[in-house]
Amino acid sequence: MLDIREISKRFGYGNGVVTALHDVSFSIAEGEFFTLLGPSGCGKTTLLRLIAGFSAPSGGALVLDGKDIAGMPPNRRPVNTVFQNYALFPHMTVAQNVAFALEAQGRRREEVVPAVDEMLKLVQLVQLKDRKSSELSGGQQQRVALARALVARPRILLLDEPLSALDMKLRKEMQIELKRLQRETGLTFIFVTHDQEEALTMSDRIAVMSGGRVQQIASPRELYDRPANHFVAGFIGESNFLAVQANGGAVSIGTATVTLAGARDGPLTVMIRPEHVTLGTSLPDALNLTATVTQLVFFGTDTHVHLRLPDGTALVARIQNALHGGRSFNEGEAIAVALPAEALRITAKAEEQA
Amino acid sequence: MILSETSRRWALAMPAVVTIMLFSILPLGVVLFYSFLSPGDFGNVKWILSADGWFSVLFERDIFDDTLMVSDAHLTILGRSVGLSFATTLITLVFGLPTAWFIATRPAAQRGFWLFLITIPFWTNLLVRTIAVQEMIRSEGVFNRVLMALGIIHEPLQMMFTNFAVLLGMAYVFLPLMVLPVYAAIEKFDFRLTEASYDLYASRFYCLRRVIFPLVRPGIIAGSILVFVPALGAYVTPRIMGGGKSMMLGNLIDMQFGQGRNWPLGAALAITLTILVLVALIWYTRLTSGRTERNHG
Repeated sequence: MLDIREISKRFGYGNGVVTALHDVSFSIAEGEFFTLLGPSGCGKTTLLRLIAGFSAPSGGALVLDGKDIAGMPPNRRPVNTVFQNYALFPHMTVAQNVAFALEAQGRRREEVVPAVDEMLKLVQLVQLKDRKSSELSGGQQQRVALARALVARPRILLLDEPLSALDMKLRKEMQIELKRLQRETGLTFIFVTHDQEEALTMSDRIAVMSGGRVQQIASPRELYDRPANHFVAGFIGESNFLAVQANGGAVSIGTATVTLAGARDGPLTVMIRPEHVTLGTSLPDALNLTATVTQLVFFGTDTHVHLRLPDGTALVARIQNALHGGRSFNEGEAIAVALPAEALRITAKAEEQA
Repeated sequence: MILSETSRRWALAMPAVVTIMLFSILPLGVVLFYSFLSPGDFGNVKWILSADGWFSVLFERDIFDDTLMVSDAHLTILGRSVGLSFATTLITLVFGLPTAWFIATRPAAQRGFWLFLITIPFWTNLLVRTIAVQEMIRSEGVFNRVLMALGIIHEPLQMMFTNFAVLLGMAYVFLPLMVLPVYAAIEKFDFRLTEASYDLYASRFYCLRRVIFPLVRPGIIAGSILVFVPALGAYVTPRIMGGGKSMMLGNLIDMQFGQGRNWPLGAALAITLTILVLVALIWYTRLTSGRTERNHG
C-alpha cells in the first residue's frame, strides 16, 4: 500500500550537511501495525515527518496507492498523525478537537456530529466531550489525540512516540487500547518508538533503524530470534556477544568446539540470549566452557548470573526462579557453562555510515 | 499592645489604601467637584455650584440671543478623538501584527535584538519623536522634497495640521504598545499546533482563523486597549501635528484650563474622557471573558 522508495533526507548546506536518511526502501501492507524502532537520532521521526508531509525528502519516492505523494502538502494527504505531545488545540473542547479534521474538509454538520460521537465512543470519552482539552489528564489527552486523528478515516495513521509521556501503568493500558483500535478500525498504523518492549508487544512488523538506515525489517519474533546484525541483536532484548574462531564449519573458544552452520573461516562474533545459556551441566552440540560467577542479581521471576570466562569475556545467564529443583550458585564459584549451538547466532557488523 | 486580627489586617493594608486615596480617588474627586462649580474670571473657580460646566460639554448658548444650540465644535472634537483613536488602533494593528509575528518567529537569540529596535523609540522623548515625524511631512520636509525632486508633484502637499498628520504621529508613537503584547501572545503560541492543523486537512487560511487567531487574540485585544486608551487622551501629538485645526479631547481640556479660563468645563470634559476610557475597558473585559468557542453537537 505504501512504498517507500530510496528515500533520503539531508539537512544543512555545504560542509554542514547531515544525512538523516540513507536511501531507505521498504513497503507497508494494508492494515498492518508497522513500527519504526531505533534510538534517538536514528532517523525514525524524520521518516515519519516525511510520510506526514511536514518536510520533503531530498530524494526518492513515497508511493501511496500507486501515487507519489512526496511533494504533496500535508493537508492533502490521507494521512493523520498522533503527535508526541498530542498538540491538542487548547482553546477547543474535546468534541471540537475531534471535529476539526472533518470541519476543515468542509463536511456538513449532519455528517460531523455523528462521526464525532462515534469516535468519542470508540475512545470512551463521550462523557468528557464538552471539557476543554487543557483540563484533561495525560491518558485522556492521548485518547482525544487518537480520536482526532482517526475521525477522518485516514489511509494511514502515524503515531510519533505517543506513549512516551505516560506513566508505566497507563502506557501498558494504552498499548492494549491502541492494538484494539487498530483491529476495530482495520487501519494501517505506522508507530514510532525507541522502546523495544512497546514495539515487540504491539507490532505486526518492525523496522529497526540506526544511523539513518534500516537495519532489519521482520516480525517481533523473527527480530528476537534471528537478529540480522550486531546492532539489532544488541538493541532488541539482552544479548551476550562472544568472539570465536571459525574453522571448517565449526566455531571454537579455547578448546571448546561445536559445529555451526554458516560459519565462515576466520574470527567471528556470535550472539546468545541470556535465557539460552545453560549452567551447571555440559550438553551435546554445545560450546561447553567453565566460568566464574562474578555477581548474582535477583529480578523476582528470574535471576541474572554474571559470569566471566577464562579469557576475561563477560557473560550473563538468566535462570528462572523455579519453586523446586533450582540450583543455587555462589559468587566466586567456578561452574560449567553450555552454549547450545542452536541458540548461537552469527552476527555481522551493522551497516554504518558510508 | 496586641491588635486584633482585623485591625492588624487593616494596618497592613493602610499603605495601599492611602496611596490609592491620595493619588487616585482624591484627584478624581477634586476634578469631579470642580466640574460642578462656576468659572472664575481669571481662571480657577468660584465656589458657586452650577451645572453649566457639564452643560457646555455638549451645548452652547448664543451670545446674542441666548438660544441653545448643540456645540458643533465640541461634538466634532469628541468624534475626531474617538475616530482617530480607532483609526490609530487599526493602523498599529495592521503594522504591528506582522512585525510581532516576524520577531516571534526569529531564533530565540535574535528576538532580543529586534525587540530592542522596537523599544528604542519608546525610550526616546515623546516630543522629540513627534517632531521627527513632523520633519518628515512638513511642507519643506523630506517627503515633499523627494516627491518634488522626482517630479511627481510640483507644489508641496499640505500634510501638517490635518487629521492625517495626527494619525501618522499617533500610529508611530503608539506602535510599540501594540507590538509588545501581540509579540508576547505569538511567542507563547505553540507552532506545533499549526503543524497539527495542516495534518488535519486545514488550509493556511483555515489554520489562521481556527487555530492561530483564537490563541493570539488576547494579545491583540490587550494591544488594542493599550493603544486606544492613551490615544483617546493624547495631547502632545495632536498639539504638534494637528495644531489648532485638528484638535483632540486632550487639547480641548488643556484649552479650558488655559486661554478658555473655564475650569468647570475642562473638568467636565476630563470626566467625560475618563468615562469613555471606562467604557472601552468594560468592553475589553467582556471580549476576553466570554472566550469559549461555539459548541458542537
